[in-house]
Amino acid sequence: MNYEGVIEQSSVGLKELVESGEEIIGYIYPHVPLELFMAHGFTPSLVRALPGTSSGFEESLQTFACSYIRNLYSQRANGQLLPLAGLLFPGNTCDALQNLGDIWRVRFPDDRVFRLTYPVTRYSQDESTTKFLAEELRILSETIANTFNRPFLTESYDRAIELVQDFHASAQFLYSARVVNPKIIPYSEVVRLIRTFLTAPTISSVSNIKDTAARVRVTSEDLGLVDMIETVRLAITSGDYSGVKLPEDLETPRVVIAGGMVEPQAIATLINDIPDISDSAIVLDLLSFGFKTAFTEAPSKSSDPYLAMAQSVLTAPGEPTHEGLSYRMKAMKDLLSNLSIQGLMVCEQSFCDPDQFEAPSIERAASELGVKTVRVPLDPELSDRGRIETRIQTFLDTLE
Amino acid sequence: MTQERASEEKPYRRLETQALLQQIAFRHGLEAMEASENGSLAWVTSGFPVEIPIAMNLGVVYPEQAGAIIGAQKIGPAVSGYAEDLGYSQELCSYARVSIGSTEKPDEVPMGSLPTPQILLAGNNICGTVLKWYDAISEMTGAPVFLLDTPPIEKQQLPHNQEYVRHGVERLIEFIGSNFNRTLEEDRLREVAELSSRATKLWIRALEACKNKPSPLNCADRFLTMAPVVSSRGTEHCVEFYESLVAEVEERAKQGIGAIRDEKIRLLWDNIPPWHTLRFFNILASRGVVFPADTYTHAWTGNMVGTDTPSIIDEVVETYSKVYLNMGLDAKVDKMCQLIDDYDLDGFVMFSVRSCKRYSLGQLVSKEIVTERTGVPGVIIEGDMVDSRVYNAAQIETRVDALLEMLM
Ligand code: SF4
Ligand code: SF4
Repeated sequence: MNYEGVIEQSSVGLKELVESGEEIIGYIYPHVPLELFMAHGFTPSLVRALPGTSSGFEESLQTFACSYIRNLYSQRANGQLLPLAGLLFPGNTCDALQNLGDIWRVRFPDDRVFRLTYPVTRYSQDESTTKFLAEELRILSETIANTFNRPFLTESYDRAIELVQDFHASAQFLYSARVVNPKIIPYSEVVRLIRTFLTAPTISSVSNIKDTAARVRVTSEDLGLVDMIETVRLAITSGDYSGVKLPEDLETPRVVIAGGMVEPQAIATLINDIPDISDSAIVLDLLSFGFKTAFTEAPSKSSDPYLAMAQSVLTAPGEPTHEGLSYRMKAMKDLLSNLSIQGLMVCEQSFCDPDQFEAPSIERAASELGVKTVRVPLDPELSDRGRIETRIQTFLDTLE
Repeated sequence: MTQERASEEKPYRRLETQALLQQIAFRHGLEAMEASENGSLAWVTSGFPVEIPIAMNLGVVYPEQAGAIIGAQKIGPAVSGYAEDLGYSQELCSYARVSIGSTEKPDEVPMGSLPTPQILLAGNNICGTVLKWYDAISEMTGAPVFLLDTPPIEKQQLPHNQEYVRHGVERLIEFIGSNFNRTLEEDRLREVAELSSRATKLWIRALEACKNKPSPLNCADRFLTMAPVVSSRGTEHCVEFYESLVAEVEERAKQGIGAIRDEKIRLLWDNIPPWHTLRFFNILASRGVVFPADTYTHAWTGNMVGTDTPSIIDEVVETYSKVYLNMGLDAKVDKMCQLIDDYDLDGFVMFSVRSCKRYSLGQLVSKEIVTERTGVPGVIIEGDMVDSRVYNAAQIETRVDALLEMLM
C-alpha cells in the first residue's frame, strides 16, 4: 500500500465515528490529556499533516512557515478536515503553532478554537510547573463545559483513564518488545496501531492494540524474552538502564529514529519501500507521535483530576520545545549506548525550529558514542522521496 | 544647526547624538570584556528583565544587538556560514546563526563576537527560538542557561500565569545567587529599576516627538538610537544618553526640522530592519518618504516603576509578561493601528523576516485587518535582517513602488 493509502486507512475509524454522530475535538500537539475530553463526552482526535496537501496556505502563511503548519492550514482551507466540534491549539510550544492558532481564529471564525498553554520549564524543582498546567486544564475544562453544556463527568473520566492506560501499557510493551527483537512485530504495524488509537481512541482501537500486544507477549514467552522486555520497559520509564538485558545474538543494523512531529508511518513506509531492507532495522523511534506518546504515564486516581492530568502530561519524554537540552541529550545517550544502537536517523521538517536546532546537538551526542548519524529532511508530502530513500539506503549500508 | 552643515546634500539629516552612541557602545564593550574576565558576564535576550542581573552586579550583553552589528557590517552570510558548517540550518533565525557562528570563530568576527559568557539568561516573551539558541551556546561555552518562561497571554494575564512567572523570577534570583554566590538587595533593584524606567520614559518621549510633522526621526535613526535602551537599561549613562537625544529631537520638533529634508509621505515600518541595507530608508528619504513610527522600537517601551503593583518583583512579572510580542496577533494589530492613528501615517511596510517566525507568521492576515481598520494601504516585503542572501532588493523596490504610487 502506498503512503497515502496507509494514512487513509488509519482514519477509517474516525470517519465511522463522525458518521455515527460522535462529536470530535481535534488537537494538534501530542501531549494532551485525552481523558479530559472523554470526561466531557467528546472523542479527542489527533489532527495531523496529510500527504498530498501541498497548497492552500498561501493566503495566510509565508513559505517559511514549517511544512507541518502549512499542511494543517491547507487541509482546513481545502475543506479536507472532518467536521470537528472544536480544535485545540497548544500555546508556548513552538512559534509556528502559536501563530497558527491566532491565524486560524481570524481566518476560520466559525471554528471553535481552544488553546492549552504549556509550561516550558521542566526542571523547576518546585510545583509551579504542574500547578500552572493544572490550572490551564481546569480552565479548558470549564470552557468546554460552558461552550457545549457538557459537564466533566467523573465516571467518564475514570473510564477514560483505564482506556488510555490500556493503550499505554500495550504500546509500551510493543515498543519494548521490538527493542529486544525488532522482528517480533513490524515497526509499521506498531505505529499503525498507535496512529489508529490517536485518531480515534475508542474501545475498538484499544482492543486492537491490546490484542496485538497479547499475541506478541505469547510469542515472547515462547522465545523466553518476556523478562528482557520488562527490563527494557522499566529502563526507558525510569531512565536507569542498569537492569537491561538484551539477547546476545542481536541482529544488525540497529537504528533509532530521532525527530519531532515527524510521522512514524512515513518513515516505516519509506524504509519498507527500499529494496532488500525492512523496518526491522528500526529498533525504536524517539518521535512525538510514537515513543513520546507511548511512554507517558497515565494520570493517577487523585482527588484533583486536573493536577493528576498535568502530572501525567509532564511525564512525557522531553520535547525540543521544552527546556533541558542537556537532559535530553543525556537521556538519548543512555538509551543509545544501553540498547546497542549503531545508527541514528535524525529527521527534520523544513523550517521547524525545534527540530533544526536540536539536530546538531543530537549528531554531536551520537558521535561521542560512535553512533553514526544521518539527517533526513522529511516533509509531510514526502517531497524528494527518491533522494531520501537513497540517503537512507546508503546510510544503512554503512552500518552493515 | 551643525547637523545640517555636515550633511547638506543628503536627503536626510544626521543626528548629533549619534556620536555619543559610539562612546556608549565602546564603554559597554569594555565593561562586558571586564565582566567576562572577572567571571560575571551574562548574555541576555532583549525582552529579559535585565534589571535583575544588573542589580546583582553582573555585566550584560545582548547577542541580538551583536547580530545587528554583524548584519550592518554585511558579514552576516559569512558568519552564519560558520554555524551552518556545524549543522545549523540556514532556515533558522539568523541572529541565532551568527551568534553561534561568531562564538565558533570569534577571531573571524572582531566586531560582533561577544566575550565569553558565564551565564545565559533567556526570556521567551519575544519568541521560543531564544531558548534553543541559548542551549546551543551553552553547549559551546559551558555557561548554564536560565529560561524565564513567560507563557503567552491573551488579553489579560490570569492569576495562575502571574504566579508561575513570579516563581520563575524568584528562581532566577536564586539561580544567579547560587551561581555567583551573591544575593539581591531590594534597594539596589529599585535603584536599577528606577534608572531603567527613566531611560525608557525618555525613549518614549523621543519616539513620541515623531508625531510632529515633519518627523524629527526616521526609522534608521530609531533603530540605531534604541541600542542603549536595549543594552544599557538600568545605568546612569543610558539615562544621560537619552537626555541628550530627547533634547536634540525636541529641539528639531520645535524648529520644524525633519529627519528628512522633504517629508511627503509618512509610513509605518513593521518588524526588525534589514541591518545590511539600512540605506533602504535613505533611498526612500530621497523620495520624500519618512517612517515616523515602527513596531520594533516601540516594543521597548515597557515601564517598570509606577505601575500599581505591590512589589518590585510583581512589577517585573507584569512588565515582562505583557510585552506586546507576547500577546498574540490581536495585540500586534492593535499596536499597528494605534501607531498609524497616533502618528498620522499614510500607509505601512511590513518586513516579512524569514528568520523570525514568531513575529512574521501572521503578517499576511494582519496586513488585511490593519488596512480594514485604518483605511491605509500596506505592502509586505520579504527578506532577512542579517542574512542578505535572502534579500531581493529589486523585488522589494517594485513592491514599495507600487505602494508609493497609491499614495503619491
Ligand atoms: S514543532 Fe516543528 S513541525 Fe511542529 S509545528 Fe512546530 S515548527 Fe512545525
Ligand atoms: S526568532 Fe525573532 S524574536 Fe526570536 S531571536 Fe530571532 S529575530 Fe528575535
